Amino acid sequence: MPHATVVKPANLKALWKLLPSISPKRKYLAGGTDLVTGANTGLNSAETWVDISDLKELRGIKETAAAVIIGAGVKISELEGSRLVGRWLPVLHAAIPHFASPSLRNMATIGGNAANASPCSDGACALCAEKAWVWLELKGKRRKLPLAALFKGPKKTALKKDELIIAFEIPKWKHEGAYLKLGPRSYFGISKVSVAAALEMDGGSVKTASIALASVAPVPLLARKTADYLAGRILNEENARTAAALVKAEVSPITDVRSEAAYRREMAGVLLARALGRIGRRGENL
Amino acid sequence: MENRRGGTFNIRCAVNGGKVEREIDPSRTLLEFIREDLGLKGTKEGCGEGECGACLVLVDGKAVNSCLMMAVQLHGKHLTTIEGLKGRDGGLHPLQRTFMEEGAVQCGFCTPGAIMASEALLRENPGATLEDIKLGLTGNLCRCTGYEKIISAVEKAKQLL
Ligand SMILES: Cc1cc2nc3c(=O)[nH]c(=O)nc-3n(C[C@H](O)[C@H](O)[C@H](O)COP(=O)(O)OP(=O)(O)OC[C@H]3O[C@@H](n4cnc5c(N)ncnc54)[C@H](O)[C@@H]3O)c2cc1C
Ligand code: FES
Ligand code: FES
Repeated sequence: MPHATVVKPANLKALWKLLPSISPKRKYLAGGTDLVTGANTGLNSAETWVDISDLKELRGIKETAAAVIIGAGVKISELEGSRLVGRWLPVLHAAIPHFASPSLRNMATIGGNAANASPCSDGACALCAEKAWVWLELKGKRRKLPLAALFKGPKKTALKKDELIIAFEIPKWKHEGAYLKLGPRSYFGISKVSVAAALEMDGGSVKTASIALASVAPVPLLARKTADYLAGRILNEENARTAAALVKAEVSPITDVRSEAAYRREMAGVLLARALGRIGRRGENL
Repeated sequence: MENRRGGTFNIRCAVNGGKVEREIDPSRTLLEFIREDLGLKGTKEGCGEGECGACLVLVDGKAVNSCLMMAVQLHGKHLTTIEGLKGRDGGLHPLQRTFMEEGAVQCGFCTPGAIMASEALLRENPGATLEDIKLGLTGNLCRCTGYEKIISAVEKAKQLL
């Protein structure tokens, strides 16, 4: 048993009203796949969990003229079937089959994935490459950050106490995408390294690029130098090789139970070259 | 749903087609609720960490790991456990039959979870290919069968559903 009590506000307004009356040792409960796992293995410091899994304000995938808006409470499996994600967010779409198992995808939320701030988060990594922004709310007041700025270190975020992730806003930009993950087996496992690549193409050339990596830095990492290098260049084998060498210099992996630093660094380059190859082959360049 | 005095929760839900209303301890997981409060022992606890799939059940028709869901989150929803699966004639469900016929059950500990994962998969994708079946079962570990027999049981059940 997790040894935490659960309270369940009916809506956001009720949530902000409720918080002052409950234990200050509190946490939000969304899909529970990180929180309950931690509690079942003895890692739970909170006395009260505030269940946000049914809050309507965190649900839904919508579009505006310029952006796709994904509610923080959207399940990973909902992203899988979404027409908007399929059309506008190719990197996120490609990441989904690599995310845990089908049943965990029915539980895990995209907001929980970001709030958990694991350097291995597939959803957060893919959304960083998609140039996502994140909307936060505290006691009715909202603010917006570039998603990459939310992450401050392993399991550390820029969230203030009680601040809630409400939604992700991802600008609509025409791009190709790939997501490659190397884990202990082909599917279902925390990554040793993942690469998310989003390329805006102009014929055979890269117009702009956005590259993010998971599990090779304390946070989901935006490889800005590598992306800058690719911008304006033809997507061919030689340039992909140079980009792979650059990305190896941008990552700062560690050795832990899942993998070794040197292997992770090497494979970050290999996966990036493969991801670029995959996108290039669609345009017949590579 | 409301918190009652003493911090218990009153939940209303459907379990294997029947209405259930219970006052429960909010710190209970769905798995504890199923096994200890409802006495349905078909659902198993393996790892308690989302890794093995022995605890899989369906909530509103979708497979979930009951070890990681809190019982209060079942409020207003439909739960199906292995005990709730039936064939059209009221006897064994086709998956239960083909698991036996194909030898997909050895110790049987993973079987309820593997059947629930397969049921969710075939409901969503009745034409599931071999690859779809393998992917659909990625969250279910089996230490006995080597998976081949489980996969052929699901392929066979697909023809019968
Ligand atoms: C077996 C297993 C395999 C996994 N595999 C993967 C994988 O392949 N890839 C991957 O990326 N992850 C994986 N995970 C991790 C996990 O499933 C994800 O991080 C998931 O997205 C977390 O979402 P949740 O809704 O379950 O969060 P919860 O567990 O409910 O919450 C996680 C944390 O975020 C906080 N939180 C939740 N929602 C909000 C919000 N809206 N605002 C502010 N704070 C919030 C909670 O308080 C808690 O601290 C795996 C987990 C398990 C158990
Ligand atoms: S007991 Fe739930 S996944 Fe293992
Ligand atoms: S039959 Fe024994 S674990 Fe699968």
